[in-house]
Amino acid sequence: MSSSNITSFFRQEKKTTKRKNDGGGVAIAKLCSKIRSDLAPLLVSSTDQLRSTKESTKEAEERLKEFDIDMRYGPSMGLTRIERWDRASALGLCPPADVESLLLATSTISHCLWQGRV
Amino acid sequence: MADSEMGEATLERKLAVYRNLDERFVIREEKYKGQQFSHIYFMRLHHMRSQLQSLIPNWKPHLPVNTVLGLEEGKECIIVGTLYKHMKLKPSILDEYSKERSAIPLVKPHNFMSTDDHLILEDESGRVKLAGPMLAPSAFVTGIVIAVHGKETSEGDFFVEDFLEAGLAPQVDRPLDSREDKFVAFVSGLSVGTNAFNPLQFQLLVDHVTGHLGDENEQRISSKIVRLVIAGNSMHISHGFFSGQTVAPKDHAKLTEPIRELDIFLTQLVAALPVDIMPGCNDPANYSLPQQPLHRCLFAGASAYNTFVSCTNPHHFELDNVQFVGTSGQNIDDLYKYSDAKDKIEFMERTLRWRHLAPTAPNTLGCYPYVDKDPFLIESCPHVYFVGNQEKYETRLLQGPDKQLVRLISIPRFCETGVAVMVHKQTPLSLSLKFLPPVSLFLLFYLCSLTLGTWNAMRSVSPQICKCDCGYPMGTALGSSMHTRLCSYFTGDILPLPISAFFFYLGRLFSPDCCNF
Repeated sequence: MSSSNITSFFRQEKKTTKRKNDGGGVAIAKLCSKIRSDLAPLLVSSTDQLRSTKESTKEAEERLKEFDIDMRYGPSMGLTRIERWDRASALGLCPPADVESLLLATSTISHCLWQGRV
Repeated sequence: MADSEMGEATLERKLAVYRNLDERFVIREEKYKGQQFSHIYFMRLHHMRSQLQSLIPNWKPHLPVNTVLGLEEGKECIIVGTLYKHMKLKPSILDEYSKERSAIPLVKPHNFMSTDDHLILEDESGRVKLAGPMLAPSAFVTGIVIAVHGKETSEGDFFVEDFLEAGLAPQVDRPLDSREDKFVAFVSGLSVGTNAFNPLQFQLLVDHVTGHLGDENEQRISSKIVRLVIAGNSMHISHGFFSGQTVAPKDHAKLTEPIRELDIFLTQLVAALPVDIMPGCNDPANYSLPQQPLHRCLFAGASAYNTFVSCTNPHHFELDNVQFVGTSGQNIDDLYKYSDAKDKIEFMERTLRWRHLAPTAPNTLGCYPYVDKDPFLIESCPHVYFVGNQEKYETRLLQGPDKQLVRLISIPRFCETGVAVMVHKQTPLSLSLKFLPPVSLFLLFYLCSLTLGTWNAMRSVSPQICKCDCGYPMGTALGSSMHTRLCSYFTGDILPLPISAFFFYLGRLFSPDCCNF
């Protein structure tokens, strides 16, 4: 399986999510998640497919759980993790970028750890 | 009256540039996914905290700002958080399930305050009880964000030495312009469909505003009204229909009658001037704030005109760059239930100082569970702030530390008081127009003429003499023409004299210079 074949005909675009910071708090999470859902298939690189071991998903979950519990970014129940990340970055709270990349990988759970249990 | 107009120029109604700014209150894209209200509180705290943090350096720059969890005993600091007022009399759904069946009072008190109320400050990290005489719980409600200065005591409470509210938001400069007088008329609580509604009263208002009433001076004033805002509770549908049972065909008419009646009046209004109609707590709109605009299908006649605008509650609009913000009264009524002030205008002042239109939402006031915004935050101070469906007409001019100037208006219920309010767009002047039932009809006209009389007196126009034989001087041509008409209605000599005398002396009471002879 050679990745060069893919890149020869599949132009991989750079992620271009534009973030507008409206003072009035206009919802942009929907716009961001829509852009993301369009670009996500392009961004799942081939290296991920090779490394989909249980340890890595467990690590990812741990990292995301930390993100859920972090109170700086607000409550985590009731919205998906991506939406919460987008909201945090729209408010200028600078959420960690590694969480974002983890969230874009489709194997992670979209809601916070308490969703459906509380 | 029509005869006198022939051969004279027709009066044109003044126009004003209108911009509807209700977009943030309209629920369009939001989808309810089962979220709770914690998000709206988070957004409120985040937004208000950043504003307070920019004000703290001017207030007490030498003190550190901590989180609640970072409090140390005895160390003086500032904490910023949301207030929660613990009230033991506040009705709670859990009371139904509590094991101790204490006697529930049959009469629900209108105000749930008690002397045991105490305040708690909360931020993301924790909450702490506030102690000390500085913060009187009766002046505060749950949901406002403030900064407090003090220190933690040995009992774990936070002893408050001083507190800081955000204060009035910065205001866009009022446009300096024009010698043109323009008025905006406000009315609320029409309650079409109840027994309290008097169609003659409302028809009088409609006629006055559309310019079908009064002589030329009166019509000139009406032509300066550029907009009418109906601030909620325009109709009232009998509560018998809310039981959830199917409405029998014979009752269909009763269900739609109030709406149709209102539509007839509205069609007359919108044909003459732009009208904004807001929903109130009794209108067929959703219950929780922000109430969405009343649907066009309810107003078959009026919605055909482009001067008809159905607005949200709260309503924010701009007329010739003057900012108007107002609600149909639910926010202030809720504050009245959970806190104390000397009048409703003081509640309105407080909401401006807290920079939030409805701080008790979602605690005791229904509100949509927004996830990523709190639309009730006041980003810029309005020039006119109005609240509908109150007991009486009150108004005040509020001045802020940064040269902000706000006209606060409490609009009374029209069905009870017959009072509408006119606000001068430029100078923040407001006056009330009282429309009374037939017995006091004459008094109404006379009062109108008196106000005009004083107006004219201020502009040194000479008062007019009644054209009838009784010879009593009247305030204006309106007053005199009305008086003539009144005199002509009575056949005998006995009645006019006492009535005229009454009006005359009443006139002397209100404006002594006016009726001098």
